[in-house]
Parts: sequence; C-alpha cells; structure tokens
Amino acid sequence: MLRGGSEALTPAFVSFLGMGFMDLHFIFIQLFNGLILGSIYVLLSLGLTVIFGTLGVVNFAHGALYMLGAYTAYSIVTLLNLHFLIALLLCPVIVGIIGILLEKFLISKLYKLPHFYNLLLTFGIMFFIQDAIKIIYGPEGEPFNIPEFLGGAVNLGFMVYPKYRLCIILVTGFLASGVWLFIVKTKLGAIIRAGTDDSEIADALGIDIARIFTLVFGMGAALAGLAGVLAAPIQDVQPLMGMNFLVETFVVVIVGGMGSIGGSILAGLIIGELVTLGIIFWPPMSTTLIYVFMAVVLIIRPRGLMGRVAFFE
Amino acid sequence: MKKGSVVGFVLMASLFWLVCPANAADTVKVGVISVLSGPLATIGNGEAWSAEMAVEDFGTVLGKKIELIKRDHAYNPGVANEKAKELYEKEKVDMIVACPNSAAALAVAQQALIHKKPFFSTSAGTTDLIGKQCNRYIIKWNYNDYMLATTVGLWGAEHLGKKWYTITSDYAWGHDLLKHFTAALKKKGGIHVGNDMVALQTADYSPYILKAMKADPDVLVLLNVGPDTVNSTKAAVQYGLKKKAKIVHALLFEPNIRGAGPEVFADDYVAGSWYWKVDNPGAKEYADKYLKKHGERPHFMAAAVYSATWQYLEAVKRAGTTDAEAVIKALEGHTFRDMFANPGYIRPEDHMQVAKAYLLRAKRPEEIKEKDDYFEIVGTLPAEEAFGKPGQFGCEMKGF
Amino acid sequence: MKVNSKYSFGFIILAGLFLLFLPFVTPYKALASQMLVFAIFALGYDIAFGYTGLLSFGHAAFFGLGAYGTGLTLIHLSIPAPLAISMGVIISLLIAFPIGYLSIRRRGIYFAMVTLAFAQMIYFIAFKWRSLTGGDDGLHGVPRPPLGFIDLRSEVVLYYFILFFFLLSIVLGIRIIRSPFGKTLECLRENEDRARSIGYNPTRYKLISFVISASFAGLAGGLYTLLQNFVPLFSLGLDISGDVVLMTLIGGMGTLYGPIMGAMGLVYLKDLLSSYTNIWPLFLGLLFVVSILTFRKGVFKELKERFLKF
Repeated sequence: MLRGGSEALTPAFVSFLGMGFMDLHFIFIQLFNGLILGSIYVLLSLGLTVIFGTLGVVNFAHGALYMLGAYTAYSIVTLLNLHFLIALLLCPVIVGIIGILLEKFLISKLYKLPHFYNLLLTFGIMFFIQDAIKIIYGPEGEPFNIPEFLGGAVNLGFMVYPKYRLCIILVTGFLASGVWLFIVKTKLGAIIRAGTDDSEIADALGIDIARIFTLVFGMGAALAGLAGVLAAPIQDVQPLMGMNFLVETFVVVIVGGMGSIGGSILAGLIIGELVTLGIIFWPPMSTTLIYVFMAVVLIIRPRGLMGRVAFFE
Repeated sequence: MKKGSVVGFVLMASLFWLVCPANAADTVKVGVISVLSGPLATIGNGEAWSAEMAVEDFGTVLGKKIELIKRDHAYNPGVANEKAKELYEKEKVDMIVACPNSAAALAVAQQALIHKKPFFSTSAGTTDLIGKQCNRYIIKWNYNDYMLATTVGLWGAEHLGKKWYTITSDYAWGHDLLKHFTAALKKKGGIHVGNDMVALQTADYSPYILKAMKADPDVLVLLNVGPDTVNSTKAAVQYGLKKKAKIVHALLFEPNIRGAGPEVFADDYVAGSWYWKVDNPGAKEYADKYLKKHGERPHFMAAAVYSATWQYLEAVKRAGTTDAEAVIKALEGHTFRDMFANPGYIRPEDHMQVAKAYLLRAKRPEEIKEKDDYFEIVGTLPAEEAFGKPGQFGCEMKGF
Repeated sequence: MKVNSKYSFGFIILAGLFLLFLPFVTPYKALASQMLVFAIFALGYDIAFGYTGLLSFGHAAFFGLGAYGTGLTLIHLSIPAPLAISMGVIISLLIAFPIGYLSIRRRGIYFAMVTLAFAQMIYFIAFKWRSLTGGDDGLHGVPRPPLGFIDLRSEVVLYYFILFFFLLSIVLGIRIIRSPFGKTLECLRENEDRARSIGYNPTRYKLISFVISASFAGLAGGLYTLLQNFVPLFSLGLDISGDVVLMTLIGGMGTLYGPIMGAMGLVYLKDLLSSYTNIWPLFLGLLFVVSILTFRKGVFKELKERFLKF
C-alpha cells in the first residue's frame, strides 16, 4: 500500500525501486511532461531574462502578462469564436503592444533611479492588471479546452502522448531557437546585445537606446503572452494564474544566469524536469527542490549556469 | 513651516476619525467572512448573497433592524483571524457566519471563544471543530468531512469499486478528508492503492493522473475543491482515466461544472447536504429568488448560510435577547424545518447541525434539461448514519 | 534623522501624543497594535535595506521565526511574555547568521533571490512540520499570560505593551544608525569597493547589519503572535516579505521614520480599503504606481523634504 505525503524518505525509495521494475513508458511520459512545464518556464524566463539583461528591470508584472495572453486567447477563441491559430498569432502581438505601452509610459520614467524602483513599479502594475481582469471577467476563471484540431494523442512508437502537449514542446523549441538566432545572428540582435553590455556607450555611438529598450520589453511581453496562450488549454485560466509561475520563473532566470538566453533555456528545462520528477519520487518536497537547487547553484556558481559576470548588480 | 507640520498631522489624525463606528445598540449585526476574491470566489459570493437574502427576508428581530457586514478572507487563515477580530471588536457583530477553509474556521472559532460570541461554521469540513477544537460558541452547520466520506464513501466502495486512488490537496482540510475517506473505505474492505498530496492551486495534474493510472484503481477520489477539482478532473479526462475508473469528489459545485462544462464531470459522484431541487419547505422559493437576483442556482454552501443565518435570528427571537449564552442555549437540542434541513437538529454534545445527506451524480450533458440542473439525487442517508455518534470526535466543551 | 531644532521638538511632542492616543482613534484597537508591529518590522528592515543597501526578499523568514518561536514558547512553557518574545528574537537571530552568511556573498538581485529561496524553504518546512507548527492550520491557542498585575488580554493594555517595544526599537535604531557602525554601513551602501580599500571588511558589516535587521523582524513577529493569539503560516510567506519592502520603499528608505510611517500607513490603508471594496488590490496597485512615479524617494521622505525643513 503506497502512502504519499509523509516526510520520510522511505516512500521515495520505495517508489523509486518500484519504478525500476516497471516500464520505460511511464518514465518517458513523465519526462515529456517535464518538458511541457519546462517549455512554459523557458518562454517565460526568456522574456524575463532579456528584459533584465537589457533594461535592468526586474519585471514583476511578467506573470500578469502571461495571464493576459491566456485571457486574450480566451476572448478571441471563445468570445469571438475564432480559430485557435488566430489566437496563437494575435495574442502575443496584443500582449507585446501592451508591454510596449507600459514601457513607454511608465517604466521608462524610472530608468535613472536604482533598479528596485522599477521593481516596485512592476509589482504595482501586476496587482493592477490582475484586479482589472478580475473585475472585467470575474474571479472564477474561464474554461478553455484543447482546440479540436490538436486533440487526441500521437503514437510515437515507444509511447502514446497527447498531441497538444507535443505541440507545446515543438513550438517552444522553435521559438527559443528563433530568439537565440535573432539575438546572436542578426544586426538588430547585435544592437540589442550592445545596448545590454553598455547602454551608455551604445547610446553615444548613435544607437537609439530608448527604442531598443521599448522593443525588448515588447518582445519579452510577447513571449510571456505566447506562453499564456499555449498554457491556457492545459491550465486553469484565472486572474491569478501568473502568480504561481512568477517566483519559479525568477528562479529559472537566476539559475540560468540573468541576461543569458542559453541559460534560460537550459535552466527552464532542468527545473521543469526537476519539479515533475520531484512529484513522482519525493512529492512533499517537489517545490522546495527548486529553491534548494537555486541556492546550491548560486552558492557554487553565482552568475548562474551560463550567466555573464557583468550582471551582478 | 511649523504650521505645515501641525496642519499635516491634524489632517492625518482627522482621516482616522472618518472611520468611527456608529453607535448601534438597536441593530442586530451579522458578520459574514468568506472567500470573496480569487478562484474560489464562486463559493464565497454565493454565501454572502445568501446571508444578504436571509437578513432581508427575516426583516426585523425583536423590533431591531438587522445589519449584514461582509469581509473577505481570501481563503487565508491569518486574514480570517484578523477579520474575525475586526468584526467582533470594531463592528461589534453579534455573530459570524460562513468561513470556508478549515484552518480559517479554526482561527475564527478561537476568536469566537475569546470574544464570547457565536460563530456559525457552515463551510469548513474539519471534524476538529466538533472534536479537539470544539468550544461552546461554535455552531457547526451544514456538513463535515466525516459526513462526506460516509455518504459517498460507503456507497462508493460498495457500488463503484474497491480499489481507490486518492489525490489530496495538501492542507488541513485535505488531510482531514483523507483520514475520513480512508476510514470509510476500510469499513467496506476496500484497498487504498495510492495517494498523492498536491499543493493547493496546482495547475497541471498530469503527473498525478499518470501515477494514478499506473495504480489501476476502480475509483479515483479527488479530495480537493474549486480550481483544483476542475484541473484534476480535466486531466483525468484528457488522459483517459475517466474511461477506466469512476470519479468521486469531496466537494463539487454547480459553478465548477458550469465553468468547465458538464462533459468533464459527467457521471461523477459527490455527497451534498442539499441540492436546489430538494423538496424542503421554502426551498423552491429560495432557489427561484436566488436565480432571479444572481442569474444562477444556489449551491449547498450558499443554502447552508441562508439557513444558519435564519436559524440564528429565530434563536434570538426565542431567547428574547442577542446575549450569546442565551441564544446558544436556545439552539442546543433544537429541531427545525427550513429550506435547507427538513428536519435539522443541533446536537448539544458537539453543536453539529445534522440532517439527512444526499448522494449526487453529476449529469451527462444530454440529461440536463434546465439551467444549472447538474445533479441527480441518487440516494439519501439518514442523519444518524451520515453524521455518526454525537461527540465521537472527542469534543470537550469549553466556554460557559 | 536630526533632532536639533525647536521645530523638531514640537514634532516629537505631536508624534508622542499621536502614539499615545492611537488606539482610541483607529477603528479598532488591534489595528493600532498591528500598525506598531509592522513599524518595528520596517524599521529593522530599513537598517539592512536603506542603510546598508541589502535588498532582502526573504525577511518574512525572520518575522515568522520570531512569531513561531514566541508562539511555541508561550504554548509549551509558562514564562512571561517578554521572555517568550526574547526567545523569538533569539531564534531569528540564530537563523539569520547562516542565512546571512550564505546570502551576502552575492550582491544585488542575486542576494535578493537567495534570501527569497531561504525564506521559501523555511516556509515549506513549517508547512510540512505540522506536528510542530500546525502546518497550514497555523499555531492555535497562543495565550497572553498576565505580566504581574498587567493583564495583556485587554487590547488597550497590549497596545501600550507593544508601544514600549516600539519606542525601544526606535531608540535602538537611532543609536545604531548614528554610531560609527551605522556610518560604516552607509559608506558600504554607497561604494563597497572604496570602503574595502579603506580597510573595512564589508562582509562582516553586512552580516551584522543583516542579523540586526532580522532581530527586529523577530521582535515584530513575536509581538504579532501575542496580538493574534495565533501564528498563521503566512507570517513566513511571500506576502509579508513583499509588504515590508513596499512599506520601506514607499515610506522612504534610509530614513528610519520613513519606513515607520510607511508601515503604519500601509497597514491602516489596507484595512480601510478592504472594508469598503473587494477590489482593493486594484487601488493599492494604482497607489503604488502613482506614488512611485511621483514620490521618487518615498512618500514621507519627499513630504518631509518639501514641507518640513528641519
């Protein structure tokens, strides 16, 4: 008789032994599930890390932007009765625009002050957005089902896996590589990197730093919005859905190294797997595991897995 | 400049005077603490609305007006504690009703004992309220976890299957539920094939559902509420577990079904103390009035609050005073019939309000003929069986 | 905070009167006590944040440890309240050493996140250790033993009891800030490398500042437990950590009086707003956004600098 939820290690070992004797199938499904969670973390942390790296802003409103992505998807698909693909394309753009407006009219005012001012500002913005949605849509949340054309499961040979979840992994992979290529290989990406390294010099060289900042914030917001759209069918769409992810996303960014895209991707996937596997093997501590992991990483390798030494303050 | 500082301080001090409590010796004040924000607000709003309706319908008591004061505790025990203090001390309420979340209810119950005023706990399940943590100012209304487990658990173990897998929300209420449900399962010789403790407000239940499927249960028992219930059931549907096992819920409300869609919950079983179609005196009027005012049918938590508020006011009438001791004495051992319980009886040993319990099955979409008609009453359990023996949880009354 | 003119003397008299009569002026007495509790918390936080530049996101850990420490002591041992509170402070202090030591090696936002991580770990330990802490239930039934002839069960009496600790905290805070130690902290905040080059060991100073700040938090937590007769799990949670940052920032960091007034104002405002509307977080969010954009240095600091020139 299996009993979960006790503080002792014994159930963990017992279930681990039990695992060894049963099929790879189960382990693979859980690993894939870890990739799903990891994908959401990757999308969210990409946006956060790029915003912090370039603007130096710790965007507490990121979770709220994610939630906005889910709600705009709900509005487009359920209220306006349009196809999910339209939501997938449109929602990130909408959230990106909201991000741009926030940056232009609020956040940019505080660049000259120490970083925690913008932190506080985004904190306040988060509350505001969440409550505004609560008032407009109601606090209970909205139903959002997996779109028809992506329903059902796919037989991958060694296991059968839900089609929609597979798509999340694929879309995230596609996007993450896209962002990486953009930053590393394109001219605009180079400009952004210049602005990240030293915004004053970049400014002196004639680059319109203000525009770059706005663009980057918009991009980050759009990524958060996209994560929201993708997550909506498998999560509860409700005003506080971003809160659950916020702290964990910060952990991912810190572990990966603030400002590092590769770091975010790596850390996002690792932490996604860690949480999911933690649930299987050691349920009581699955959430604490993230924090322990982060503390260990920070103490051993303070800049994060792939962070650059410049981002210390 | 000195003038500036004086003016500044006077201004600040006067701000405080704005919120001085009015002298209210000739009104009876009823306080409602519930979850009025966040995803569980559907439960809380219904409770607040019902309290309003009860106060409105009752009119006046002992020649005094009745005033209702609402507070949101956001499903948080610490906040509930503060709000209870505020209501008893500042607003000088004569009683507090509702308060979902077992830990929150326990906190409010303590405040009730400290301030010597009644607390009608309608919405929390923990049997500690009529057990280790009982006190004479608590009147436990509506249901408790033992009743839920006994009503659906005993029947479920016999008719749905013997191998159970439980998914439990990891907080006070979940633990209490698990205790009672596994006891019920044991009574019928069932096997508990596994359990998962899941943090509150978890979004993705797929790892737990997959674990459950591995254990191959006959029945999946979901010991959670609100968004956790919705997410866990959705995941069970998505991964096909629903085709292999029956699902039993600890609590399932009409708003949850309305939000996620009845296909998600079709043929699931749950226990309840009331359903809006039940044939109690005044039930239909209440359900219709509620529908008219709020556009939906009431869930049983809401109905319980209406009944508790009403019976409190009746007790005040009988006792001829709002003095807590007298009112509580007027309630102990009292039998009543209203829209909620027909009859209901308040046990003097542990202050549990008992009535018959209902076993409900969630209807399939094609069976739903009118708005919010989500359940079919499959059976009933008499009060003595559903609620067990009075005082069986070890209540030693503190208070007067 | 300079006390050197007759205007400031008047200020002190007014503040004194205000504090003396506060419980009779607030909607209910426990609210006045709560305002003081958080003022102590914010005061201590300002020492680490405002004066040393250590932005900690995990100070709820110390508030909560103080709360649980005091609560458990009061329930299991029959000792007078001040001793129980000291237990709470000691526990916070002891735990602050290792946490501070490990966190201080990093700076800025990294430091903040490590403190957050530790706070979350402590939160989850408390959550799981139900036999000790009551877990999610919280710790119920914390008594208020009488202190000689003083009956702490009266909310008014408790207020003055807390007021005593509040005044003590202010005196301590001022002495710390004005001392050479305090000046060194400010020096560190401005430019750590330069401080190091003069010969100060930043790590040691930062650690001591952190521990002092944690002790104030522990004191506040212990008083909170006494006030609530109950230790809720959220005293270790993210909301409390966030609250104290907000109070300090909004009040005006690095001033001591700023966070005090910020804390009292915020506690009062939250209570006021939540009584009137369900959507009070919206207003709070709006308030923050507006006040950050207009009162850059913190509401009270700016007000003081503009209107009260002393």
